[in-house]
Amino acid sequence: MTRAAPAWRRAAVAPRVALALAWLAVPLVPLLLWAAADRWPFPAVLPTDWGLTGWRQAAGQGAGGALGRSVLLGLAVAALATPAGAMAGRALALHRVPARRLVEALLLAPVAVPPFAVVMGLTTLTLRAGVPGTVALVLVLSVSALPYTVFVMRSAYAGYDVGFEEEARTLGAGPRAVLLRVHLPLAAPALATAAFLAFLVGWSDYVVTLVVGGGQLVTLPMLVGALSSATGNDAVVAAVSLTAVVPPLLLLAATALLARRGAR
Amino acid sequence: MSTDLVLDGLVRRFGGAAVLDGVDLTVPAGGVVALLGPSGTGKSTVLRLVAGLDTPDAGRVRAGGRDLTGLAPERRGTALVGQRPRLFPHLSVLDNVAFPLAVAGRRRRAARAEAAGHLDLVGLADLAGRRPATLSGGQEQRVALARALAAAPAVLLLDEPFSALDPGVREGMHRLLADLRGAVSPTVLLVTHDRQEAAAVADTVAVLLDGRIAQAAPAGELHTRPASLAVSRFLGGVNEVPGAVERGAHVSALGRLALPCASPDGPGVLVVRQEAVALTGPADGDATGTVTRVTPRGARWRVEVTTPAGPLSAETGPGRTPAPGDAVGLVLPPDQRWVVPQATG
Ligand SMILES: Nc1ncnc2c1ncn2[C@@H]1O[C@H](COP(=O)(O)OP(=O)(O)O)[C@@H](O)[C@H]1O
Ligand SMILES: [Mg+2]
Repeated sequence: MTRAAPAWRRAAVAPRVALALAWLAVPLVPLLLWAAADRWPFPAVLPTDWGLTGWRQAAGQGAGGALGRSVLLGLAVAALATPAGAMAGRALALHRVPARRLVEALLLAPVAVPPFAVVMGLTTLTLRAGVPGTVALVLVLSVSALPYTVFVMRSAYAGYDVGFEEEARTLGAGPRAVLLRVHLPLAAPALATAAFLAFLVGWSDYVVTLVVGGGQLVTLPMLVGALSSATGNDAVVAAVSLTAVVPPLLLLAATALLARRGAR
Repeated sequence: MSTDLVLDGLVRRFGGAAVLDGVDLTVPAGGVVALLGPSGTGKSTVLRLVAGLDTPDAGRVRAGGRDLTGLAPERRGTALVGQRPRLFPHLSVLDNVAFPLAVAGRRRRAARAEAAGHLDLVGLADLAGRRPATLSGGQEQRVALARALAAAPAVLLLDEPFSALDPGVREGMHRLLADLRGAVSPTVLLVTHDRQEAAAVADTVAVLLDGRIAQAAPAGELHTRPASLAVSRFLGGVNEVPGAVERGAHVSALGRLALPCASPDGPGVLVVRQEAVALTGPADGDATGTVTRVTPRGARWRVEVTTPAGPLSAETGPGRTPAPGDAVGLVLPPDQRWVVPQATG
C-alpha cells in the first residue's frame, strides 16, 4: 500500500534512526560493561577483570524465578486489561455512551493518581476481605493499565469501519464468525500494541508489588531493588537489569512486525 | 436459487422524521429492479432494511414467501454490495470470495475451489492470490460482486456499486451484470441515482420520492408516461403545458392538441419529452415562438423557445441548429403527448 520513499528521503532517515537508536543504547552501555565485569575499580575507564561472575551471582539470588514471575505478572495484566480496554474503547468510539465525559475521565483517572496513593487503602481492604495478595496485585495493576489500553483501542476503533462487520453478516457470518474472522483480525495490530503497554505496566511495577504483594512475590524489579540497596553488587544488579530490559525489547519488535503486517 | 422480493409498507423514521413513509415494491424472481431517487431520499435505508442491518418502524420484507422482517442479517440470504467494496484487507482475493463459503462451514479446499469459479465468472481468475489493496477500483467491485454471488443469495442487493468508477469501467460493469444474469439469474435490487444506469441494467425502474415509490415501470415508459409532475421533473423532463383535458384533447394556450390515449376530462398538464420535440419552420408546428437560448449537451443541443404557453425546449441532434432570436415552429408528436395531474400544494 505504501510506496517506497524517494532516495533523498531515505538518505535523510538513516541518520535520524541512528540518533534514535543511540538515544536508547547509550544508557545501556555502562550496564553492558558492568554485566561483563568481575572487577571495575573507581578511576579505571574500563573494567580491569572481565568475567560472568555477576550472572552467576544473579542466578544464585533467584533471578530465574523472578524473571518467570515477572513474565507471568505482565501476561496476567495484559490478559485482563487488553480485552477490557478493547470493549471500553469500542463502546466509546462507536456507540452512544451515557455520560461519556464522566466515563472517559474515570477510565483515564489511574494515570493521574499515583498508584501508591490508592494502594495503601486497598491493601487493608483486600487483607480484611481475604483476597490473596497476588490476585489483588493483578487486579490493581490491570486497573492502572486500563487507561493505556482504552486510549489505544479507542483511537483504533475511531478509524474502524463497522461496514466490514455488516458486510460479513450479509454474507452469512454469525456474530461469532464476525468476531473471529473479521473483527479480531482487523483490530489485531491495535490489540497487540495495547497488550504490549499493559504487559509493561505489570513488568515494570515496583511500588504496587511491594505494598499489595507484601514482599511475597519477588519479581525482577523487586530483585533489582533489593540488590541495589546493598553496596558492591554492581555486576549482579547490571545482570538482573539487563534481564529486565531484553524481554520488552523483543515484544516491541514483535508488536511492530504485527502492526506492519496489519498495515499491508 | 432466485426468489421474488416483496417490500410491504416499509416505514423508517430517524428522530421523528419519516425517511421512508410506506414503501411498496416487488422484484420478481430473477428480475432486476433499479431503485432510483435523489441522494438522501432513503435508498440505502431501503437496502439496509432488506438486508436486516436496520429495523423498520412498520412494514414487512418477504422473499420467496418467507417473512424476513425479524431475521438476523446472516439468515436472510440477502448479500449486499455497497458503494465501497469493503474487501477484507487481511484476506487474499480468493479467500475474500471464499469467505461466505467458509462461514457456511465448507472445508477450506472445497471453498477455495468454488470461489475460484466465482472469480472466473467476473473475469478475475488470475488475481486470486493478490491482496485487495493492490487492486484497481473496478477490480475491487468485481471481486465484491463475486464474493456476494458466492454466498448464493436469494436476493442480491447493490447500493450504488458503480458510482465511484470511471464511466468506461462503469459500462464494463453494466455488461458484466447482464452476463451474470445470463449465467446465474439472481434477483437484484439495485440502488442508483443515475437514470442512465437504471435504464441500462434494470427491467423495472422504481422512483423513490418523498419516502414512497412514486412510480415503478420500465425505463422507457417512465420517461414518456410519468405518473406525476414530480416524476417527470426528476427524470429531467422540462416541457410542461398547463391546461385541461376535454373530450380526448388537451386544451391550452397552444390550442387543442389531440391525445393518443384516453384521459379523464379536467385540469391537467401536458408533458412531452424535450428529446421527442422536433423543430420546423415558423409557419408549421404545434407551437411557434422565438428561440431564447441554445446550449450544447454533449453531441446534442438544447434549444429553448418562448411560446404562448411559456418556455418549451427541444433537443436536436448534431447538424443545423437555430440561433437565439430565430422564429421556429415546434412539433409535439401526437404519440409522445402525455397528461399528468396538476401539482398539488
Ligand atoms: N442511522 C441513521 N441515523 C439518522 N439518520 C439517518 C441514518 N441513516 C440514514 N439517515 C438519514 O436518512 C436519510 C436517507 O439516507 P440514505 O438512505 O442514506 O439516503 P440515500 O441512500 O438515498 O442517499 C438521510 O437524510 C440520512 O441523513
Ligand atoms: Mg445511499
